[in-house]
Amino acid sequence: MVKEGTKMKKSGVLIALSSANRAFEFRNPLQKRVKYQGKYVDIKLREDPDGFSYIVWKNKKYMLDVIEKNQNRYTIMINGVWYSFTVETPFSFKRRKRLDKEGNSSARVAIEAPMPGKIIEILVEEGADVKEGEPILILEAMKMQNEIASHVKGTVRSVSVKKNDTVMKDDVLMDIQIS
Amino acid sequence: MKINSILIANRGEIAIRIIRTARRMGITTFVIKTDKEPNAWYLDEADQVIDFTEKLNDIPEFMDIERIIDNARRYQVDAIHPGYGFLAENPGFARRCEEENIIFIGPSHEIIYQMGHKTIAKDLARKQKVPLLDGSEGSVTGSEEARKMADRIGYPVILKASAGGGGRGMRVVEREKDMDRMFNLASKEAEKAFGNAEIFIERFVRDPRHIEFQILADKHGHVVHLGERECSIQRKHQKLLEESPSPALTPTLRKKMGDAAVRIARSVNYYSAGTVEFLLDEDNHFYFMEMNTRIQVEHPVTEMVTGIDLIEQMIRIAEGEELPFSQKEIRLNGWAIEFRINAEDVQSGFSPSLGTIEKISWPEDEHVRVDTGVRDGSLITPYFDSLIAKLIIHAEDREKALHVASLAIRKFWIKGTRTTLAFCRAVLQNRNFRKGKFNTSFLSNELKIHYHHEPEEEMLAAFFAVYDYAREIHEHEDKLLYAEKGKEINPWLLKKRLR
Repeated sequence: MVKEGTKMKKSGVLIALSSANRAFEFRNPLQKRVKYQGKYVDIKLREDPDGFSYIVWKNKKYMLDVIEKNQNRYTIMINGVWYSFTVETPFSFKRRKRLDKEGNSSARVAIEAPMPGKIIEILVEEGADVKEGEPILILEAMKMQNEIASHVKGTVRSVSVKKNDTVMKDDVLMDIQIS
Repeated sequence: MKINSILIANRGEIAIRIIRTARRMGITTFVIKTDKEPNAWYLDEADQVIDFTEKLNDIPEFMDIERIIDNARRYQVDAIHPGYGFLAENPGFARRCEEENIIFIGPSHEIIYQMGHKTIAKDLARKQKVPLLDGSEGSVTGSEEARKMADRIGYPVILKASAGGGGRGMRVVEREKDMDRMFNLASKEAEKAFGNAEIFIERFVRDPRHIEFQILADKHGHVVHLGERECSIQRKHQKLLEESPSPALTPTLRKKMGDAAVRIARSVNYYSAGTVEFLLDEDNHFYFMEMNTRIQVEHPVTEMVTGIDLIEQMIRIAEGEELPFSQKEIRLNGWAIEFRINAEDVQSGFSPSLGTIEKISWPEDEHVRVDTGVRDGSLITPYFDSLIAKLIIHAEDREKALHVASLAIRKFWIKGTRTTLAFCRAVLQNRNFRKGKFNTSFLSNELKIHYHHEPEEEMLAAFFAVYDYAREIHEHEDKLLYAEKGKEINPWLLKKRLR
């Protein structure tokens, strides 16, 4: 962590890599003058008295919130829409790209149970291609049959549950390799 | 009989909504506390809390008829308001109230039974010459019979739970080979949701609108309707947005449908608030679907355009009062829209999103009404429905209402859980929605992406992730600096960092 931090400071560059593999590069994110993809940008980060964070960008207000954070993995909610990223240093970013090229892509996402319940039906098989928003299984909870959808486009690598299983919240249901 | 105290057999926003009116009328309110949400807001709003946190049996608290009746007797409450869901349309509950001389704020148990049984309700409508969809006269015994029936009516057909409501236990069957599977799914779901696996079958109207009429009726034979609600914006039969009036209705059609709704209510000597649901097809033919014998989630849009407090009227009717207005005196003013803000992840197919509401705030405005059961710190649990809040906008006309809604949604902030707010924005951006051209297939056919996002949002979100990460590293380094040098910050490192 510290080692990485030192590295970050040296170059001052951090990259947010989206789940669709889009890279957003920022220089000096903590300072007043932030560079995005090499150009100065006027992003103002503020907090209102109620404790909501927001960005002022081109005279528009955008509400923001970190909704999930696990080491360098982030899910950010902005104006009610969420985006997932991993934050990379130039060094880790390069290494990641090299690994991706060698086919050891680590861009896998686990689909987790949003609540405890019972698996009623599994709608995709291992190896199936899924679209973003495509239902992958039906979970019964709150007396309702809830369709659980993939939030990424990719290929189903493994299915960790079977029909009639009971799952707890956050149990992994499937692993999906992002494409 | 004057009602002096009410036990509300419900929770969340509707419990608070009922308390507001009851308090204004000088009525003492009682609510039920469960161990599933012992710190919920509605508990603080009521005058008295009845403790159900100790488990006596496996029946869910708000479904436990005998326990609720016992407590109503113990606390000597005059009346019970069931809200919506739970026991609101359970004839057995209404009957037990009647037996114990507790006023049930709703219609009689006979009326609830008749309207709750869809095939009986359809018979009543048929006798009143209200148009109906072709279908089975009663329940069908199995998929064999369903298939024969569907051959006669013609595909597609829809299977519905006889005891159903709220979209559960409904399946559309497009072709014969799907019938067995769909029939099994529908009856299983019906059994689970309503304790009754009976299914009936109907011609399926493709892409209809869902239009419902609000009824008020007293115990003296007066029945009025308060105009319609447009509820076509649905996902899998779950309403997401409602408005009143409907952009589809002309005054003539409104009168025709309103009259039909009133006839149906009259035919069972209805009293209390109720809702008559219709389907409206592309050629403006309407068909009776069902009557809901309770207050609806979307009742506020009717309250906004009529200026009538529906909960107050329900209480007064239950007390035996006459309706204070006639049909002629009811005016529909302006336009109202309700957005249901649910704790659901629109980007993952509306799957439920649990968590804590860390912060919630919205713009206070004369055009804005918010009915909610949560406040800062409230938990979204898996035990109850996912409704967080209802945002209701009222303005002079539809265009103005849509404009105000866009601004209000932008300023409606919820921190801590994923919500359907981005979906609301997507609907408001849609051109056909703005023109009033939509039906129940809007989500599947028209709204390709179910959430609205702006082109540069992802970049700004990326910045926030990077910012948060960088800040954490710096805080971590600060700790190391303090640890190394006691309380003194190492000026060397500090200088370096500031640069």
